[in-house]
Amino acid sequence: MHPLRELDLLQTRRHFFGRTALGLGTAALAHLLPDRASAARGSMNGGVHHPAKAKRVIYLFMSGGPSHHDLWDYKPRMREMFGKNLPDHIRDGQRITGMTARQKTHPVCPSKYEFTRMDNNDRGVWVSELLPHTATVAKDLCVIHSTYTEAINHDPAITYIQTGSQVPGRPSLGAWLSYGLGRINDNLPGYVVMHAATKHPEQSLFNRLWGSGFMPSDHQGILLRSHGDPVLYLSNPNGVSASDRRAQLDALKAINQAQYDQFGDPEILSRIKQHEMAYRMQTSVPELMDLSGESDTTFKLYGEEARTPGSFAACCLNARRLAERGVRNIQIFHRGWDAHGGLPREHGNQCLDIDRGCAALIKDLKQRGMLDETLVVWGGEFGRTAYCQGKLTKQNYGRDHHPRCFTTWMAGGGVKPGITYGQTDDYAYNIVDSDGNMIRPKKDKWTPGTMHIHDLNATILHLLGIDHKRLTYRYQGRDFRLTDVHGHVVHDIVA
Amino acid sequence: MRIRTSLTICSLLAALSESLADKVDFAREILPILSDKCFVCHGPDTKKKSMLRLDSTETATVDRGGYRAIDPTTPQKSELIQRIFDFNDPMPPKDAEKQLNGAEKAKLKQWVLEGGAYTKHWAFVPPTRKKADNIDGLIESQLKSAGIPFAEEADRRILARRVALILTGLPPEPEQLKTFLADKSSKAYARFVDRMMSSPRFGEHQARYWLDAVRYGDTHGLHLDNRRGIYPYRDWVVRAFNENLPLDKFIEWQLAGDLHPDPSLEQLVATGFVRMNPTTGEGGAIPEEFQAKNNFDRVETLGTALLGLSLTCARCHTHKYDPIQQKEYYQLMAYFNSTAEPSMDGNAYRYGPTAKVPEHPAAWDEWEELKQSRSELLNQVKPELQSKLIARAKLTTSWKSSDWRLTKAVGLTAKPTDQAFKPGLGLPNAGEALPRKSDQARWFECKIFTPIRQDLWLSFTSGPGFEVILDGKPIEAASRNLPLTLASGDHTLRIKLIGTPDRLPVEVKLENAWKSLAESKAWPKNDDADRLLIIADPNAPSVPKKLATRSQEIASRISTIETEFTTTLVAKDLPTPRETKILERGEYHLRIGDPLKPGVLAALGLSDSDAPMNRLGLARWLTDSNQPLVSRVLINRIWQRVFGYGLVRTPEEFGRQGDFPTHPALLDWLAVELQQSGWNLKHMLRLMLNSRTFKQISATRREIDDPENRLFARGPRQRLDAEVIRDIGLWASDLLDPHMGGEGVKPYQPAGMWKALTHPASNTVNYKADTGNRVYRRSLYVYWKRTSPHPMMTLFDAPSREASCVQRSQSNTPVQSLGLFNERQRLEMARALALKLLRIDGDQNRLDHLFNLLACREPNDAERRACKQLLETMRKRYQADPDATQEYVFANVDGKPGYPARLDEIAAWSQVTGMVLASDVAILLY
Repeated sequence: MHPLRELDLLQTRRHFFGRTALGLGTAALAHLLPDRASAARGSMNGGVHHPAKAKRVIYLFMSGGPSHHDLWDYKPRMREMFGKNLPDHIRDGQRITGMTARQKTHPVCPSKYEFTRMDNNDRGVWVSELLPHTATVAKDLCVIHSTYTEAINHDPAITYIQTGSQVPGRPSLGAWLSYGLGRINDNLPGYVVMHAATKHPEQSLFNRLWGSGFMPSDHQGILLRSHGDPVLYLSNPNGVSASDRRAQLDALKAINQAQYDQFGDPEILSRIKQHEMAYRMQTSVPELMDLSGESDTTFKLYGEEARTPGSFAACCLNARRLAERGVRNIQIFHRGWDAHGGLPREHGNQCLDIDRGCAALIKDLKQRGMLDETLVVWGGEFGRTAYCQGKLTKQNYGRDHHPRCFTTWMAGGGVKPGITYGQTDDYAYNIVDSDGNMIRPKKDKWTPGTMHIHDLNATILHLLGIDHKRLTYRYQGRDFRLTDVHGHVVHDIVA
Repeated sequence: MRIRTSLTICSLLAALSESLADKVDFAREILPILSDKCFVCHGPDTKKKSMLRLDSTETATVDRGGYRAIDPTTPQKSELIQRIFDFNDPMPPKDAEKQLNGAEKAKLKQWVLEGGAYTKHWAFVPPTRKKADNIDGLIESQLKSAGIPFAEEADRRILARRVALILTGLPPEPEQLKTFLADKSSKAYARFVDRMMSSPRFGEHQARYWLDAVRYGDTHGLHLDNRRGIYPYRDWVVRAFNENLPLDKFIEWQLAGDLHPDPSLEQLVATGFVRMNPTTGEGGAIPEEFQAKNNFDRVETLGTALLGLSLTCARCHTHKYDPIQQKEYYQLMAYFNSTAEPSMDGNAYRYGPTAKVPEHPAAWDEWEELKQSRSELLNQVKPELQSKLIARAKLTTSWKSSDWRLTKAVGLTAKPTDQAFKPGLGLPNAGEALPRKSDQARWFECKIFTPIRQDLWLSFTSGPGFEVILDGKPIEAASRNLPLTLASGDHTLRIKLIGTPDRLPVEVKLENAWKSLAESKAWPKNDDADRLLIIADPNAPSVPKKLATRSQEIASRISTIETEFTTTLVAKDLPTPRETKILERGEYHLRIGDPLKPGVLAALGLSDSDAPMNRLGLARWLTDSNQPLVSRVLINRIWQRVFGYGLVRTPEEFGRQGDFPTHPALLDWLAVELQQSGWNLKHMLRLMLNSRTFKQISATRREIDDPENRLFARGPRQRLDAEVIRDIGLWASDLLDPHMGGEGVKPYQPAGMWKALTHPASNTVNYKADTGNRVYRRSLYVYWKRTSPHPMMTLFDAPSREASCVQRSQSNTPVQSLGLFNERQRLEMARALALKLLRIDGDQNRLDHLFNLLACREPNDAERRACKQLLETMRKRYQADPDATQEYVFANVDGKPGYPARLDEIAAWSQVTGMVLASDVAILLY
């Protein structure tokens, strides 16, 4: 008999799904039976459909829409156009949000920041003075200037990039990865989400961004919190010691076992294991969060701020520690990038929050030999406009949402290091080809040099050994995918 | 979660279908293959007109220039067979995502050779039945084919617990259990079932499933995710189930209660269903875009919750699998496209249109009683008195009011001068808002002329602390709804309206109860409220003193309740319908073709020609006896909540891509029974719970290979839902507060969970737990913030309620264990339960009671041993460590209450009760 069939006889299907996976996501595998025989674990490097380039992903999500103008997409010629109305042929019929649609003019707003050309393995990359640390790892980054989306407001846009749909209800990218990749550490959750502190907690996040939608809820992200219990309800109450809990769990096990003996429900056996894992988490999570074993060198790298729980730097350090312990699916959400006004002040603070942590994470992974197998992704849900929202001065300005192009970067895990991908026009308003001709990209058909958010997600899955077209989950009679019916793996950035 | 059959195809069923019929069963065996593997190109939505379609006999047998896909005369020549076996040019093409396997090719070939006949998809044909059938017979016939008998009947104690949990979401009260066990008559069980169904807890528990399906939440759901005032809808659902409102009415009121000629308040509240979609107030969002998105959501939720059909495909193109045209999708949308609310919610709690309703069910009951007394009282008004009243009514009609003016927001102590009142600021009821701070006020002023002495009824919006000043003299106003007695002549009325954080609009009403009487000149034609005010008016002539006093008393009590009325979102149509057109690829700005009239899905049967072209017509089509889906979809979900699994294992999908029923004849028998019983939910539950199928023991039968219980050869068995797990703990420890309804309650929640993700401008950024008994209310009433529901709900698989959910997953995770043992309220439950047990003498009796509560039986030896050992260990531990004892028993307790037991005993017993509450004895149905 097929060994999997045998398993099924012992357990219900659901019991079998998504749990105690070793290396491969059994949930997805169960769905993809034909692949299973060929999916010899070792040769796949943790991949499901093809050998994985990356074993894990750390996604640094900048919620609110960072300004590509002020961070990554250097457009010196905009200075000559300071305050002049954005040319119509550049706007090219673009719909704009209700916040600036009624604004009388759309004055061109060059970045006030100096940019430096950093050497990489290609033509070099321009980096803003707001990101001095990140600039030092330019040789490791693949900077994508041509990410784009259709959504122009936060809620739809962030839901779109994180779940593949602008309306709530679908599983998140992280849930898809959990479904595909499974878990390899029996003492820690497989999918961990952190919320980094910000001075500008503007714009909302939603449970759905790490939720499991119509998938089983085991695939939702587990929050690693900086206040109170790092994992919800982790600590025993006062007056209850670990050995007390041990005694309780021993009694519980006896009672549950008696229940199993009577009813033969395999879920009961599975639950006994979950209680044991919870007990182990009560040791493994505090151990994870305890930074006392980290050397001074570490804090020199991440900065003293990494000692403050919840800071972005601390989250990055946690991400490395999670990666070391075999957690494959890690996300950090940092809010506050929605700079409609007072952008220099707000983005200044935001960059102070994240810059050093981003660079440190990459250097740290590299020095530990983990960068090659860890995919790091940085980006937000859209970019910001070339024109000013509100009053424009040389020193102060704001920018509205811009979907047509924005900058995302990736590093490590099978991505070509030290390159840029895609380019934009002189206003960083439209994606252009290498001759500078405007591209009007469509998600249905990939154009070289462009990166729709579905393409981005398809490429992330690809690097992790997953074919985005074949990782499906059936709901309402349809085999759903993260990338809907779109998405194209952009091999140009794959090493 | 949903379980696919692709891997564990139940071999029993497969064997069964093969042995019963050698001929291929099109609906069961062929259509799923065609739909899944072929329709993506050759289905209802072919790209080109010339493209082959394989979704009907007509299209599949068409002459394509010398050959046919299916050739009915010489089937072996059929192109379909050639191509699926063609090595060089196969179908599906080599690069297609979905390929046919050998068995599927063989089936297709056999089918074509047998004539390639099509039948309509089973779920699109109205259900029919043999009346003589019944549940057990139809289950047993499959059991017999598999060569196995029913499992034996479960112990009565297990049955009592099972019945009570399924019907009320709580175990039986010890007294109820005792009565049942003592009742030796053959009807004892049926009586027990009825008793459980008559409990008010029944409606609370049943309502939850519906609230999941309609995605009920207490917040708007998008962006700021602000508060939304719609909980009276939730309370109405509970009431509807408790009163056993027929399900066809239940659906009709929700879809179209407002379109009834003279809708009752309950019918209006029910239309909250139409308003349940998540909405946004995000600055910069484009209204037309959200008008479209809100409607997509409504259409698709209607599809999932009532039709069991995914309609989403048809938003952008004709459905790939089911016979649904894109145009039909938009015709369905046209029913919803003319509702009057703006497409953006303005982040407002009262996102109009709203109806004013009693604040909670108890107030609603009292209000109904008062209205009853009122109509009895009004019957006492004799014809002579009526004519005297009519004569006076005519004199009251020439009163006038004028010069309505408002001030800007001022401090509470400010006394505004005459110049501060400005007509230019806009009249009340015209979009002016109260200040949003309670230390600010706006003053209102108007002039009134009354030709004779009379009462006018004044009502207005304000926070507490308002003042009413008539002709310079303060009037004692206990409520914001009061009579003003005016002598004949000119008057000036001023009101100080106090701000509230709730963004209330300024509303001031001055009404004359006599007016409609003056116009109709006929006493019975006026509504009860006006007539009561007339006889309560001290200026009314010749009203007998007793009648006047009594009417004043009732008027005042009604007024008190109505002043406390809350609002709830309701549906209302615009006077002129919005134009609906097809949106190309579902893009809101790509409107194409002619304007569409509302219309239904033709594949499911047309609506009556005289049906109104509005939501009422839609509701009637849905509940028509020829409608093939609604009764099946509803009864399948009722079966699912009784037996754990539906008869159709894809409760959200009955289309061609859905699962075939495990027991098709039973599903149809139940669907017809549902209709013929007058859509009687309690009747259907009674049939199911009294069946032999239900009463079987739920233990796994080692001799049968049926892990998903597709044969229903054992009783139901599953982990209980989040709400039930919590409610059981509150109930067992006597903490449960039985109060029903009202604004969502907020039990404890770890600090900062909302703040970590909510927009700072949102009014749901700070979670402030309730105090007092509200934290112990049933979980149904726990506040539902859609972007961050209570973590103990999410932990145990409750959906976010952003999208329709007709089947929850049942995950099994370590974090659940942490929650069960360490969450603050669970500690409280354990302690309260320990204290309760400590009132009983002797460990043995205490354990018996504990298990009697949670398992309806005494502990077995293993359980007793485990509990005793834990108890002894903990006794020693806490006796030796008074500090730990103090910390544990006084955790989260104000001060140090004098407990009526030794602290180390409380601590030791709390460890035991907490453990048993977390065990599978307590959290499973079995």
